[in-house]
Amino acid sequence: MTELLVDPFRLPYMQRALLEVVLLGVLTGAVGVFVVLRRLAFVADALTHTVFPGVVIAFLLDRSILLGALAFGLLTALLLAGIGANRRVGDDAALAILLTSFFSLGVVLVSRTRTFASDLTAFLFGRVLTVDRADLVQTLVLAVLVLAVLAALRKELVLRAFDPAGAVALGYRTVVLDLVLNVLIALVVVAAVKAVGTVLVLALIVVPAAAARLLVDRVATMAALAGLLGAAGGWLGLAVSYEVSVGYGVRLASGATIVVVLVALFLVAASVAPLRRLAAGRQGPATLAARGQRERR
Amino acid sequence: MSWLAGTFSGGFVQRALLEAVMVGALCGVVGVHVLLRRLPFFAMALGHATFPGVVLAALAGVNLLLGAGLFGVLVVVLVAALGARERVDDTSAVGVVLAGAFALGVLLLSAQAGFAKDLAAYLVGSIVTVQPGDLAATAAVGFAVLAVLAALHKELVLGAFDRPGLAALGYPVLLLDVALLLLVEVTLVASIPAVGTILAVALLVAPAATARLWTDRLGATLTLSPLLGVASAVVGLAVSQHWRVAAGATIVLVAAAFFAVSLVVAPRHGLAGQLRARRRATAAARPA
Amino acid sequence: MGSEQGPVLAIRHAAVAYERAPVVEDVDGTVSSGQSVALIGPNGAGKSTLIRAVLGLLPVVRGSIEVLGRSPEAARPKVAYVPQADTLDPEFPVSALQVVLMGRYRRIGWVRRPGKADRAAARSALDAVGLAERASARFGTLSGGQRQRVLLARAIAQEPRLLLLDEPFNGVDAVSQELLLAALQRLRAGGAAVVMATHDLGLAHLACDEVCLLNRHQVGFGPIGTTLTPELLRVTYGGQALELRGDAVIVAKP
Repeated sequence: MTELLVDPFRLPYMQRALLEVVLLGVLTGAVGVFVVLRRLAFVADALTHTVFPGVVIAFLLDRSILLGALAFGLLTALLLAGIGANRRVGDDAALAILLTSFFSLGVVLVSRTRTFASDLTAFLFGRVLTVDRADLVQTLVLAVLVLAVLAALRKELVLRAFDPAGAVALGYRTVVLDLVLNVLIALVVVAAVKAVGTVLVLALIVVPAAAARLLVDRVATMAALAGLLGAAGGWLGLAVSYEVSVGYGVRLASGATIVVVLVALFLVAASVAPLRRLAAGRQGPATLAARGQRERR
Repeated sequence: MSWLAGTFSGGFVQRALLEAVMVGALCGVVGVHVLLRRLPFFAMALGHATFPGVVLAALAGVNLLLGAGLFGVLVVVLVAALGARERVDDTSAVGVVLAGAFALGVLLLSAQAGFAKDLAAYLVGSIVTVQPGDLAATAAVGFAVLAVLAALHKELVLGAFDRPGLAALGYPVLLLDVALLLLVEVTLVASIPAVGTILAVALLVAPAATARLWTDRLGATLTLSPLLGVASAVVGLAVSQHWRVAAGATIVLVAAAFFAVSLVVAPRHGLAGQLRARRRATAAARPA
Repeated sequence: MGSEQGPVLAIRHAAVAYERAPVVEDVDGTVSSGQSVALIGPNGAGKSTLIRAVLGLLPVVRGSIEVLGRSPEAARPKVAYVPQADTLDPEFPVSALQVVLMGRYRRIGWVRRPGKADRAAARSALDAVGLAERASARFGTLSGGQRQRVLLARAIAQEPRLLLLDEPFNGVDAVSQELLLAALQRLRAGGAAVVMATHDLGLAHLACDEVCLLNRHQVGFGPIGTTLTPELLRVTYGGQALELRGDAVIVAKP
């Protein structure tokens, strides 16, 4: 077992990759809890696609990819608020259109280059094994920033997730809160772009948090567990993809392997969860509330 | 005009044009139901999730669309099963399945050499390499889907408008749901050669959303939406040929442009219309 | 197989479950042709659950529920359900007439389209609730009360023997209330039985002759005069009722 989990990481590039995915795991796990509680998986998915043209433009202009992605992330958040407000359109449709049209813009820009296919793949799926020290520092800074904001705004964000009407009634500017969360998601996407690519970031955000939600009841514990699961998935995924690629000659993309491992962890959590409830011998308020809501539907 | 005609001479372009028209029309009609039943996210997830099916089919040497279609059915079942459990709400369930399935597809594909080129085609389409076989498949699928939609029209509309009412009348609600989801899945898969898995959702959502901005009537929406779909596909194809950029993506940009323009100028539900209505309301409320 | 002489709705010591635990128990009573029963109780008492059981959408785990002498599923063509209008999407592209036509779908059958007879029945149902001139208006452009009337018209178009209503007067303006009550009266005169879940005790007095008091189990079922009493209301609402000058009772808003 130790051969699998420790040996690959004697190599410096693997060590950097490991550090990157562990940092990302913690970061995405924390943000992911709010994405799952607020049922924002679609928004998060959209953001992973809409920052793509920003990344491409920055790359073509030889500027900071971070800034390019961030610019488009902010643009998305603003447009989403604006378009989604139109009652005839609705949030779902607005997101789908924003997501696909921005993504198409990126594809069109990339398609003018000769290395279209491989560039596209790199943007979409990342190249975690080519992470360098500058990338690590960038990820660390973003992680600290995002986690600090989450910690500072924790009670407001939880309130907004749990009782949106109550939050408004208490006088919170929910539009601002939502914008802040969307920006945080955009930052997380930006942080993960190089490592796992825009497509697989969604998995890092949603899956560990969804798994944690099945197992624990309190937001803080959920965030910690999600971070732990994300980091564990990253570690295991890297180890497995290395082992299979080097040991068996079947080249497995690292980013994708990490995601598959995370989903496997989720499925384990999903099968363990009902047993946990049986052991506790009672139904928690959340379950009853959910049941009541289902009944009223 | 001659520029347009000139652009469309040439065998592969004619095939691409035919495919564009069929896909645009089919997605336009199905898209209205996607909007009415609030399925854009689900469609997005389906688009991603059929990806492993495509890869498996490629590895097995089977028809790609068949592989995608069968895998899509599996996904529909999985999502329904996961979403029905407490604590895993529909959105997160779909997110998990989307992510997992897509990663699986990438894994399968990356195990093969030279996977980048094929991957790009699956994701964003390759309409200019459409073969006569693909055209026949699209036509067959198109006719079948439209026929079923016509037959189940009133039940599907009632189900979208008042699901408990549909149940109260004694209709098999779950069966009808699954039927619609399968129709959407089949449509998505049929659109893959044209615009790829990620962008197929755009053709399902944008023309229908645009049509909804212009009319209040269901019949008119079901007519306008496919027209917009066809227009987006044809114009997009022409522009992409002219500027030599990815065709599928250009088609989507044109569809999005129609939407954006309508968002501003549509008489009642666009920005212009709503501002005018608000101004009229404040003028009426002002004391004489 | 159905009974034309017996009660329209017969509930015998029934318990209804949601998922596995019984949600409402010990319900017992009958509703005959032309009668109207109010289901009264606090939130979570099981009113909606009971209605769904009568529609055959939830299982009966003890006792029985029979509609027109048959099982709820078998009797569905003769049972109409009127939900609260605010649960429906106001942006949906359907006209009032199209909504009313939905009540005829089972009669029309799969694949076929509504015919002239169906449209005539729909128009007459809209007329019965006073909305004949708004037939082609989009459902969402109507007021709350008007939408509720359209939903009642949809039920009327179904030509039911049993009508089930869920809080039909919630947020409804006075004019619409009058028209709803008149339409319900006409339905009862035509032989239909009515069951309505409501919070509004005053309207229960106006619209119904019997009442069923529920709080997860049946507290009482009988004529409104003898059953809607301060004592039984206090039991139903669990001590949240406040007596006022002997007979009158103020119930704390649920």
